[in-house]
Amino acid sequence: MFPWIDGFQWSVGHIIFLSLFFAVVLTILVTIASALWRTLSDFRTHRATEICWRMNFAELPDAERYCRHQLAGRVASRICDNAFECRQCLKYPEFVALPAKTPSQNVGIDFSNKLLYHRGHTWVRPEDDGTLTVGLDELAHRMIGRPDSVELPVKGSEIECNGMAWRMMKNGHEIQVRAPIEGTVVCTGGVEDGWYLRLRPRGPLNLRHLLRGAEVCGWLSGELDRLQLQLSASKAQPCLADGGTLMPELMDAMPEADWDTVLAATFLNV
Amino acid sequence: MSARYGMVIDLDRCTGCGACMVACAAENNVPPAPPRATPRTGLTPMLVHKVTNGMEGTARREVFIPVTCMQCGDETPCVSVCPQQAVQVDKATGIVMQMPQRCLGCRYCMVACPYHARYFNWWDPAWPAGMEKSLNPGVAVRMRGVVEKCNLCHARLHSAKEKAAAAGRKELDPADYIPACLEACPTGAILFGNLADENDAVFSVAHSPDAFRLLARLGTEPKVYYKSGQAWVKALAEHHSERAKESKHV
Amino acid sequence: MSELLLIDRRWIARGVERSSTMRFLLWLVPWVALLALGIYAAGLCLYYGLNQTNMDNRFAFGMWIFLDLAIIAMGAGAFFTGFLVYILKQEDLKPILNSAVVVGLVCYSGAVAVLMVDVGQPLRAWFTFWYPNTHSMLTEVTFCISCYLLVLILEYIPVLLRNRQLRKVPSFLIFEHQLHKLVPVLAAVGAFLSFFHQGSLGGLYGVLRGRPFVYRQGFAIWPSTFFLFILSAIAVGPSFLILVTAAAERVTGRHLVKPGVFRKLGLISGVLLAMYVAVKAVDTLVWLNITSPSLGFGPRDYYSYWPISSTFLFAVTVPLGLFPALLLIMPITAGKRGWLLFGATLACAGVLLNRFVFTVQTLALPTLAFDDFLQYSPSWQEVATFGGVIAYGVIVYSLSYRYLPLFDPPKGADPNVSVD
Repeated sequence: MFPWIDGFQWSVGHIIFLSLFFAVVLTILVTIASALWRTLSDFRTHRATEICWRMNFAELPDAERYCRHQLAGRVASRICDNAFECRQCLKYPEFVALPAKTPSQNVGIDFSNKLLYHRGHTWVRPEDDGTLTVGLDELAHRMIGRPDSVELPVKGSEIECNGMAWRMMKNGHEIQVRAPIEGTVVCTGGVEDGWYLRLRPRGPLNLRHLLRGAEVCGWLSGELDRLQLQLSASKAQPCLADGGTLMPELMDAMPEADWDTVLAATFLNV
Repeated sequence: MSARYGMVIDLDRCTGCGACMVACAAENNVPPAPPRATPRTGLTPMLVHKVTNGMEGTARREVFIPVTCMQCGDETPCVSVCPQQAVQVDKATGIVMQMPQRCLGCRYCMVACPYHARYFNWWDPAWPAGMEKSLNPGVAVRMRGVVEKCNLCHARLHSAKEKAAAAGRKELDPADYIPACLEACPTGAILFGNLADENDAVFSVAHSPDAFRLLARLGTEPKVYYKSGQAWVKALAEHHSERAKESKHV
Repeated sequence: MSELLLIDRRWIARGVERSSTMRFLLWLVPWVALLALGIYAAGLCLYYGLNQTNMDNRFAFGMWIFLDLAIIAMGAGAFFTGFLVYILKQEDLKPILNSAVVVGLVCYSGAVAVLMVDVGQPLRAWFTFWYPNTHSMLTEVTFCISCYLLVLILEYIPVLLRNRQLRKVPSFLIFEHQLHKLVPVLAAVGAFLSFFHQGSLGGLYGVLRGRPFVYRQGFAIWPSTFFLFILSAIAVGPSFLILVTAAAERVTGRHLVKPGVFRKLGLISGVLLAMYVAVKAVDTLVWLNITSPSLGFGPRDYYSYWPISSTFLFAVTVPLGLFPALLLIMPITAGKRGWLLFGATLACAGVLLNRFVFTVQTLALPTLAFDDFLQYSPSWQEVATFGGVIAYGVIVYSLSYRYLPLFDPPKGADPNVSVD
C-alpha cells in the first residue's frame, strides 16, 4: 500500500491505482473534516442557535407558520418564509403599514397590551433600567399549571433568540421554552414571581419581531382553536365551548391527551 | 541463470498406484481427511485421475493422469487474480509459490485455475494422537481457511541449496532436489528437472513429439508436461475431445 | 407499558402517521427471528470453518458470492439515483433519494458482512490493503466497496440525524446541516467508485483465461463484462428501488411517492436494460464466434448439459431482458402500476439470473477434457445467512421508515440562512 513496504515494486499500474485510491480517500476525509470544521465554527460564531431554529422552523406544519400580518388581518393569507425573523424581513415595513382588521377583543384568555409576545408563548417587558423581563404567557401558564420542576439558566449565561430559554418538567413531559429575545441573564425568577428571566440585551434593542395589539388577538384565537382541535382529537374530555375561558391546570385535568403533540406545537418544537 | 523447474509425466508408464499421492501428502503434512470430507473437499496437491476412452470390451482403454499444479508460465491464471499477492512466480526457479500465511481464503485463485489444482483447507488440521510425530519438520502446517497447492516440494529445494552451501558449492546438485512424488513412483513415470537447461533430460523429453500439455490453447504455458504414444490420450490435452469420457479419482 | 408507547411516540416525527407500537413490534418479530437464525448460521461458519457450507474445491464460490454480486447490482440504485439528482439535476427524483440511500446502505453492508463470513480468514482482510495486487480485479473491488460503504454511511448520517429526538442535540443538527450541503460531493465520489466496482465485479470473471465460459476480450485491461456489469447494474438499480418502495407502500398502506417518480425510474431502467440487451447480444456473438473458439471451447461445451442449455442465455436477453425493457418504456404498460411492477420484477430476475450464470454455472462447467459437469446446492447455513441478510435489510429499512424522514420532504423551503 505504501512505497516503503517490503516487496513493493513501482509500476505504472501501482501509481495510477494508488493515486486514485488516495485521492478518493482524501476527498472523503476532507468532506468529513469540512463538515466538522464548519459545525465547530457555527458554534464559535454563535450561529448555531439560528441555524437550528431555521431548520426546525422548516419542519413545522403550515398551520403553525402563519405570518403575523395574516393574524392581524392585514393580509389575506401568508405563510412565514423567514422563521418569524421579522427583524430581517424585507416585507415587514410594507405589511405593518396596512390596516389591521382583527378586532382587539376578548379571545377567552388574558393578555396585556403592555407586553410583547413571542410565538413560543412567552412575553417580553422592557424595564426602565434597560433590562428585559421575560415570562410565560397566560395560555402556557394555564396549560401547564404548576410545573414539577423548572431549570433556569445561571446568571451571566447568554441566551439566543429562538434558542432554549429555560426548561420545565410536568407529568414526565419536558418543555423547552423558546427565548423571545437574545441577551445575558441578569437574574432569574420563578413560578411565584410571575416572571422567569431578566435579561440585559446585547447591542441596540430591536423588538420588532414580537407580537403586539391586534396580532396577539388573532394569534391567541388561532392557538385556542388549535388546542381545541388537538385536545378533542385525542378523545379525552369534552371539547371547550367557544368563547369560554381556558381551564387552568389543563395538563392535570386531561392527562390522557396527546401532550407530546400539543406541547410541541405550542412551544414551536418539531 | 535462473532455473525453470518442470516435470514430464509419462502416461504410458503410470499404473495408477497412487504412491505419488501418498508421498505428497506425507511430505507436505497434509492432515487426514475428517469424517465429513468428500472427494471434492479433500486436500490432494497431487491427484490421479482415471480416464477411459468410453468404449467397452476389447476396445476399452484406460489411462491414469496425475494432475498437480501445472506451474504455469509467467502469465499464470492464479498470480494475477490474488488480491493480496499471496502467490508469486519465483523468478529464480519458475515455481509458482503459494504463501498460505498471506492467504485470505477468498478462493478466487481456485476459480481461476483451469486445472483444479488448488485446494482449500475446509477444516482445521487435526492428527490422531501420536501421528504428529510423523510430520515433516521442513514444511509448515497450514491452518484452516487458506488455499494450498503443489509447490514442487520447495522444502527439498531448500535442503538441496543448504547442502550445496555447506559443501561450498554455489549450484545445487540436481540429484539432491527430487520431489516426493517422483521419489515414490515405482515405474519412474515422473521426470523432473530444469527446463531452462538444455542438457537436462527433462528438456529433451518435454520437446519430444509425444509430449503435450493440458489445455495449452488457454495460453497458460504450463511447466508440467505429459507424454504418451497413444493418440486418444494425446487428444485429452484439449477440452474438445471427440470421445465420451468418464473419470474417477484414484 | 404505556411508558414504552409514549417513549416510542416521541421518537416518531410529529404530525406523521405510523402504526402502533404493538403492530410494529409484531411486524419485526419474524424478521428478527430470521436475522437471529442467520447470525447463528454465520457464527457456526466462523467457529467451525467453511466446511459448514456445501462449497468445495470445485465450487469454490457458491451461493454467497452469487448473493454478493446480486445484492450489489440491486444496490446500484443508490449511487445512480444520487448521480441523477445531484449531477444530472433530475430534481423530480429527489423524494426517493433518502429511500435509495437506505437501500444502498443495507445492500452494501449486508454484502460486506457476508464476505467476512465467506473468506477463510476474515481477520486477514486488511492484507488486501497492505499488499494490493493492482492486476487483480478483486483488489479493485475491495478498495472501491470499502470506500463506497463509507460514502453510503456518510450519506445516511444526515437522514439519521433528522430523527425527531436526535435533532434536539444542537451539534447533531448543525452537523447534519453542514454535511447535507456537501452531499453532492459525496454523490460524485459515490458515482465514481460505483462505476469502478460494479464494473470490476464483472471484470472478476472476464479476465479468467482458465474459464473460457466467462473470459472476454475488452478494452485495454477491462474485459467486456466490466462494461456489461455496469450497464446491467444501473439498469436494475432503479427497478429494484421501485420494487422496494412499492413494497413499503403496500406494507404501510400509504402512498409514499408520486406515481411520476415510479414511471421515471421505470423509464430509465427500461432504456438502460434495452441498451444492455443490445450490447450483450453483440458481446455474446463475439465471444461465441471468436474468443471462445480460440481457447478451444465452443457453444456445445457450454450449452449441452441439462438443465443448463441455451435457454438461460435466451432467458436473460429476451423474456427477462427485452420484454421487461419494453414494459418499462412503453407508456401503455408503464403507465399502469401492475405492469410497471411486473416489468421491474422481470428486470431484477434477469439480472439475478445473469449473476447466477456467472457465479455458479461457470464453476459447474468442465474445463479439462476429463472433467464432469458438476452440481451444487447450498447448505442450510448458507441459506440461513442469506435469509439473515434479507431480514437485516427489512429491519433497517423498517426502522428508518418509522423513525426517520425517509419520504417526507422538509415542509418549508430549505432554510436559506442569511449568515451563510
